[in-house]
Amino acid sequence: MARRNNLAGWVLVSPVVIGLAVFTLYPFLASLYLSFCQYDIFTPPRWVGLWNYETMLTRDPLFWKALANVFYYAVLAVPLGIIFGVGLALLLDSPIRGISIYRTAFFLPSIVPVVATSVLWMWLLNPQIGLVNMLLRVAGVDGPTWLASTAWSKPSLVVMSVWGVGGSMLIYLAGLKDIPVSLYEAAVVDGANLWQRVRYVTLPMLTPVIFFNLVMGLIGAFQYFTQAYVMTGGGPLDSTLFYALQLFFQAFRYLKLGYASAMAWVLFVLVVGVTALLFRSQKRWVHYGR
Amino acid sequence: MDGERFEVRSRAARQAVWAVRGIFIAAAAVGILWLFLGYRAPRPQVYPGREKVVFWHMWTSNWAEVIRKICDRFNASQDRYEVVPLTVIGGSLKTLISTAGGDPPDCMAQWEQVIPAWAEREALTPLDTLMPPEEWQDLRGRLYPAVRAIGMYKGHFYGLSTGMNIWAIYYRPSHFREVGLDPDHFPETLDELDAAADKLFKFDAAGHILRIGFIPRHLEWWAPAFGGSFWDPAREELTFTNPKNVEALEWVTGRAAKYDFERVLQFEAGLTTQFEASWPFISGAYSMVLDGQWRVEQLAKYAPELDYRTAPIPPPDGGKTLAGWSNGNFLVIPAGAKNKPGAWAFMRFWSGLDDPERAAEFYTWGGWLPITDQIARTAPYQQYCDKYPQFRTFLRTMASPNVQVTPPVPVQAYFQSRIGWAEESALRGQLSPREALEQAARETQRELENMVVGKAR
Repeated sequence: MARRNNLAGWVLVSPVVIGLAVFTLYPFLASLYLSFCQYDIFTPPRWVGLWNYETMLTRDPLFWKALANVFYYAVLAVPLGIIFGVGLALLLDSPIRGISIYRTAFFLPSIVPVVATSVLWMWLLNPQIGLVNMLLRVAGVDGPTWLASTAWSKPSLVVMSVWGVGGSMLIYLAGLKDIPVSLYEAAVVDGANLWQRVRYVTLPMLTPVIFFNLVMGLIGAFQYFTQAYVMTGGGPLDSTLFYALQLFFQAFRYLKLGYASAMAWVLFVLVVGVTALLFRSQKRWVHYGR
Repeated sequence: MDGERFEVRSRAARQAVWAVRGIFIAAAAVGILWLFLGYRAPRPQVYPGREKVVFWHMWTSNWAEVIRKICDRFNASQDRYEVVPLTVIGGSLKTLISTAGGDPPDCMAQWEQVIPAWAEREALTPLDTLMPPEEWQDLRGRLYPAVRAIGMYKGHFYGLSTGMNIWAIYYRPSHFREVGLDPDHFPETLDELDAAADKLFKFDAAGHILRIGFIPRHLEWWAPAFGGSFWDPAREELTFTNPKNVEALEWVTGRAAKYDFERVLQFEAGLTTQFEASWPFISGAYSMVLDGQWRVEQLAKYAPELDYRTAPIPPPDGGKTLAGWSNGNFLVIPAGAKNKPGAWAFMRFWSGLDDPERAAEFYTWGGWLPITDQIARTAPYQQYCDKYPQFRTFLRTMASPNVQVTPPVPVQAYFQSRIGWAEESALRGQLSPREALEQAARETQRELENMVVGKAR
């Protein structure tokens, strides 16, 4: 009976196990092998040892440019996302009339498909007829060319990232609901004002959620692709050539799949490294209320 | 009371759940029905007894209809092969995958510059090996220089064009008259072009651009007129920093700087898209603009009343006349194709090597530039040019030996991206034209060396 149950169990989970093995584990391992090969799809992979990694680190200025771009984006967009996410969650935690409408309004942009959001922002940031520059003109400021400017293209994408903050806001909101009311009552009894309650109760109690969003946000930022692909194609002058975009170009525009695999592994190691550092740092600032 | 209400609510909830389920089931049923009844499989063979030639192309809508007509004509012309056309969007990537999987099409149309990259990887069939040497010699002699150049790589011929693209200047006679220029005498030198452009620019009181006289873009389109080139065929090497290329980029940059490149970008950002009927030249945003021959048919279709003319790129002092840059659509046979003779028979038929009149008919259906002078001189093609006189500028340029194509290096896509980068760096004043070209040269050379050294490992 137990054996039959086991068998039934294996049969039921087999689609997932086979799917993971074929579509995740195999490509994962194959990409590791390919990262040591020269591979262009047409001809069989040829082993070149560490050549791809050597080329990347010593002979490809665009690799460093793409890495710098993605760090720039991650360093600005992730904290900004946290600040706006937490701020919005705090505002939307208030017991006011129609709060669910506000929550829905702020959440909606995060479920709009990325390509649609990108096209929308291309219009908003249009230097001539875009809403942003029209508003700036009303204020007497001649706005920049945004996505067409090497100085403003990355900041434009960072600002745009705040538009999709609704998803993390919802998680912060759930985190806020999880904070025991007794802590606020105790703080009030101790004479804490609103700011002190936020600073010494809310934020520390919210740190596990902030930590989660920080880790997920950083992983997402390192893989930033679609918006840049749709809106700028990496330009102007490679100013929005993000790591994943450069990886894609190397693989499918220049047919260097071995090199692209090596880039993917460097990204993987980077993401694992940064995540490990964050996990090590959490002892100092994440409070689990234990 | 509460219990009763709960009962009512749960009954309503159950009904709602069933309603949702019903919608899903109905949607699934419609989907399955569509799969069985409505789904149109790729066209089956009309002549089941014949050898099938699978033909992938990238054309859609009206263009796909032209392709279908050409295939039908081929199929009706003989009784051995049947070409089965299929529109494949994102063709080059899918061809890569199908080639890697060992099942590529027999013939495919391309417009991305893939010949050197794919030929270097032995993924294409040299077409000169599919015909007798004398036929190849004959064909080689007949093709326009640019058509021959675009198909060649390391001494073999891999791609036969079905239609080339040439760029020339479109201009508005009414704008010329408005500023006192004679539209019957289009500038013959670059200096005259600059002077005309300066007159044609229009600004508002605050200095914002209202109309662009002319702003040159795309260095590779202009360098040939200066006598420049990006490729030395004798030494088989890239020549980014050819002094004439630098001179051309200095002129392109100088013209943009005169009107403030940022201001030009701002003006252009507010214009309609470049697609067909919304091309800003129609609305008068440009007095002169460099564009391809396909606009002639588009203008006839979307703006038949528009008064416009075309002219070749005027050269600078000591430069070359009827110079420019060309790319195009071409047919290739993947190395793993199952029916290469059938594919080549189809290509011969389409390009009219045995009957230029027939090819001329096809070329006029597509509004394509011909690949040989024989086709250009046929009655159907001349009638087409009489119908669209503006087309003759492109035809004259097409035959010119001063038209260049992208250098035949296996990193063409990278080359293109770096040329664009160099031009933009210079336009934005981040590097001088010479520095920008030097850096692009270094990077492209490194990419080439990486490819070769990696291969040698």
